[in-house]
Amino acid sequence: MHNKQFFPFCGIVGQKKVKKALCIASINPKAGGLLIIGEKGSAKSTLVRSMVDLLADCQLINVPLNVSDDMVFGSLDMEYAIRSGKKKFLPGLLERADQNMLYIDEINLLRTDLLGAIVDSSLQGYQQVEREGLSYSHLCQYSVIGTMDTEEGVLSPQMLDKFGMRVAMEKEKNIENRAQVIKNVLVYEESSEEFREKYQAETVALKEKILKARDCIDNIEISDAIIQLAAVYCTKANCAGHRSGIFLLEAAKAIAALQERLYVLPQDIEEAAEFVLPHRIRKNSAQPQNSEDKDNESPQQEQAKNQDSEPDEEQNQEPEQEQRDFPPVDSENEGGNNDASRENETQDNAAPNDSETNLDEENQPENFQAQMSEKVEDIDRFFSSLQMKVDFPVNTKMKQGSGKRNLTKSKLKQGRYVRARLPQRKVHDLAFDATLRAAAPYQNIREKTICAIQIKSEDIREKVREKRVGNTFLFVVDASGSMGAKMRMKAVKGTIFTLLNDAYQKRDQVGMIAFRRDTAELILPITRSVDLAHKCLQDLPTGGKTPLAEGLATAFETIQKIKRNESNLDPIVILLTDGRTNRNKQGGDPIEESIKMAEKFNQAQIQAVVIDTETDFIKLGIAKKVAQAMQATYYPLEQLSKQNLLHIIKQYS
Amino acid sequence: MKRKNVYPFTAIVGQEEMKLALILNVINPSLGGVLIKGEKGTAKSTAVRALAEILPEMNVVKGCSFHCDPADKKNLCQDCAAKLEQFGRLDKNLCKMRVVELPVSATEDRVVGTLDIEHAIKFGEKKFEIGILAEANRNILYVDEINLLDDHVVDVLLDAAAMGINTVERESMSYSHPAKFVLVGTMNPEEGDIRPQLLDRFGLSVVVSGEHEVEQRAKVIKRRLDYEDDPQEFLAGYEVEQKDLSEKIIKAQHLLPKVQVGEELLILAAKIAIALEVDGHRADITLIKAAKTLAAFEGRGKTEQKDIRQAAALVLPHRMRRRPFEESTLDLQKIDELFVEM
Repeated sequence: MHNKQFFPFCGIVGQKKVKKALCIASINPKAGGLLIIGEKGSAKSTLVRSMVDLLADCQLINVPLNVSDDMVFGSLDMEYAIRSGKKKFLPGLLERADQNMLYIDEINLLRTDLLGAIVDSSLQGYQQVEREGLSYSHLCQYSVIGTMDTEEGVLSPQMLDKFGMRVAMEKEKNIENRAQVIKNVLVYEESSEEFREKYQAETVALKEKILKARDCIDNIEISDAIIQLAAVYCTKANCAGHRSGIFLLEAAKAIAALQERLYVLPQDIEEAAEFVLPHRIRKNSAQPQNSEDKDNESPQQEQAKNQDSEPDEEQNQEPEQEQRDFPPVDSENEGGNNDASRENETQDNAAPNDSETNLDEENQPENFQAQMSEKVEDIDRFFSSLQMKVDFPVNTKMKQGSGKRNLTKSKLKQGRYVRARLPQRKVHDLAFDATLRAAAPYQNIREKTICAIQIKSEDIREKVREKRVGNTFLFVVDASGSMGAKMRMKAVKGTIFTLLNDAYQKRDQVGMIAFRRDTAELILPITRSVDLAHKCLQDLPTGGKTPLAEGLATAFETIQKIKRNESNLDPIVILLTDGRTNRNKQGGDPIEESIKMAEKFNQAQIQAVVIDTETDFIKLGIAKKVAQAMQATYYPLEQLSKQNLLHIIKQYS
Repeated sequence: MKRKNVYPFTAIVGQEEMKLALILNVINPSLGGVLIKGEKGTAKSTAVRALAEILPEMNVVKGCSFHCDPADKKNLCQDCAAKLEQFGRLDKNLCKMRVVELPVSATEDRVVGTLDIEHAIKFGEKKFEIGILAEANRNILYVDEINLLDDHVVDVLLDAAAMGINTVERESMSYSHPAKFVLVGTMNPEEGDIRPQLLDRFGLSVVVSGEHEVEQRAKVIKRRLDYEDDPQEFLAGYEVEQKDLSEKIIKAQHLLPKVQVGEELLILAAKIAIALEVDGHRADITLIKAAKTLAAFEGRGKTEQKDIRQAAALVLPHRMRRRPFEESTLDLQKIDELFVEM
């Protein structure tokens, strides 16, 4: 589709920073590519696609989300093999991308293994392919441009670190500018030719500027003092690793080249830092209160400020602001204080499920501060970044259903076709392309028939499909009178809310049981509509006694029922209670009954988590005992608020 | 194959908002489709299928599998572009706009297109076999129960809907073709959510509910019975109405490019977008486009404030939710205040 024309780059209102970053990425692939973050409908993709007009000797290659392995890495040239009986490598996207630009829309939705390979190759500058009996390596120098909306999940920090630059789309608040945006779109849709004509001169000028910059990028000198400066910036930002320094210098080179200067000035570094460093600043316990006044503030002042502020809340303050205005001078002490805790986090990240363990700044509600002061019975949004992490020791079970939490191999003919393999049993799902490639080289020596291709059984390959499968969570909530006291319910609702938020992003199924007064009630049958769960939660009243055993019994029955209907579901119970049970229908000892019930969970190998909400001075610790009986993971509520992570370990005892 | 009888669009009782939203999209396909939310049995699917009957005819390139527009020389598929270069002109054909259905169970390869197996075996060559997205180019793509669609199929839809191009890089095929379609989706909110990114791709949204008046309900039943009794006769009874509507749509299509939008309305749309804190620019752009289309539908050459007001009810509701779980309610009062200011 090379004749396709797009909205002109210069016709896009505002977004100066993003435009500059795009220019840098197109001038110097060594600057490590660019990640553009912005809400939906903010012209991210329009901007990137409009780059086509500015690229003289290079192309913008689009990587669709449905891309398959063989197309990325390249594969055997089937047509050639049939004709000649010889093996030849057919270049994949990565080779086609050499000296060009790769564009990935909705980059957070691309398979992580592919994304990793794409980004790594760009960093290495070459690619080594060992596939289908071919060994091949080629150079590939390209910039990866990705756009994403954080609403559907974020990239893991490791992946983020591989991107040289990151920039956020600016929200247009000016009425005239917004009106201008509408006008431009209307005019463009009416007559694209005319509209493009209007910006033609500007486009050509910019195109030439970029071309010139590309030519001289290799001749740009960097003095030792500039290298020193870059190092200082990176240290101050407390960046991990040394990629940041290199990206910073390369981006600064592009900025200098754009101004037709053959040497780098400190101001170039400063400008480059705004693109290269923001996503690398390591999270400290406190961040400067107002990131607007960046350089003007001395470290001492900042430190004084930080002491005033409450650490936990500060982190969450106005993430948008933070993205835009990165403060290059960060006080060094901040980093020191927190190194230990940071270490832990990094280790955590190395775990396979890493992307889910992370609390990312973009992920948090915007006006977090405003949410803090809410009424007691409302949902406490304090744990704004609490996430659930589910670990499966070996996930060999075939799963059906859809969701985003776990990747499982799908044996149904559903899910994304990720690669082909030699069939293990009878073939149900033929990978036709791979079969053809396997058969192709032998066509010269095989018997000729009316078909061009003879396929023998040894050529047959089958598809490996992958599908993300969500989990099923059953919340069992104690809604008794004792929970109503001391804002406990608010905290509980807050916890569930954040867990629901996480479930929403990962497309889990949820259900809810509340127990109070005399009975336990399934107030929400298992559903994919997390919305509905939220409504139920909001309306949940508290009061009365605590029939914990009843609650457990209802949960047990519900799960048994689900398992009977859909054996592939493996619901996880999340029990929130203070354990102060004081009511039992059968009249026995409520605590004993509860523990007896809890043991049943263990026998049935139901996975569970107990969140203990007991905060009284004298702790009875019943919830803990119940947790032990269930073989459940146990968390006191206070601990959760500190740790921001609910780690559910799947045990098959 | 003999055409199946379809319940006529004009015979649907009530549901004016849904009908209007569908018609607006037919007049102006760049509006971005419509999402119809509602309980079961509220004529959602009936309306979309019935729409096919009143769709206008359009010019297509003869023999093109993507129904390229011969007048739109910048958005041709590879074949048509090659033909144009070779012969300097393209043969035209008249063809009715269609409703292409995407079943929830559709597999990815059928949606985006895949390697033509037969061709590969016979000739040892690769050939692209078109998928549903190719068929949907310049047509209406209808997804019933869109909230139940598999995640990876939704990803594909997002890609195509954003660019108007379907790029295929799979199963040895590297191919791209135009895929500009009007996305019409129906969903029952009780059965699960729709992904926010997909939601945003819809230009308009309407909520339908069953009729509450006894008389109206009786009318619904009566018409349905009549129709089932003798479809041919029933259809004949609505022939005039159907034709009138088709003609009105064609007239509006011709008028649409000439409809004026005053500067003050652009400012108003921008103000509304800022006041309601919507994400991005799609809301204000669609608001103006929808208002323009409304004016065209009513045969007016100038967009008025009341068009904006009416369009707001269709364009804004599904964009009001900025966080998961927030009630997405449209504060019409806020908009009214802005109107008073004007």
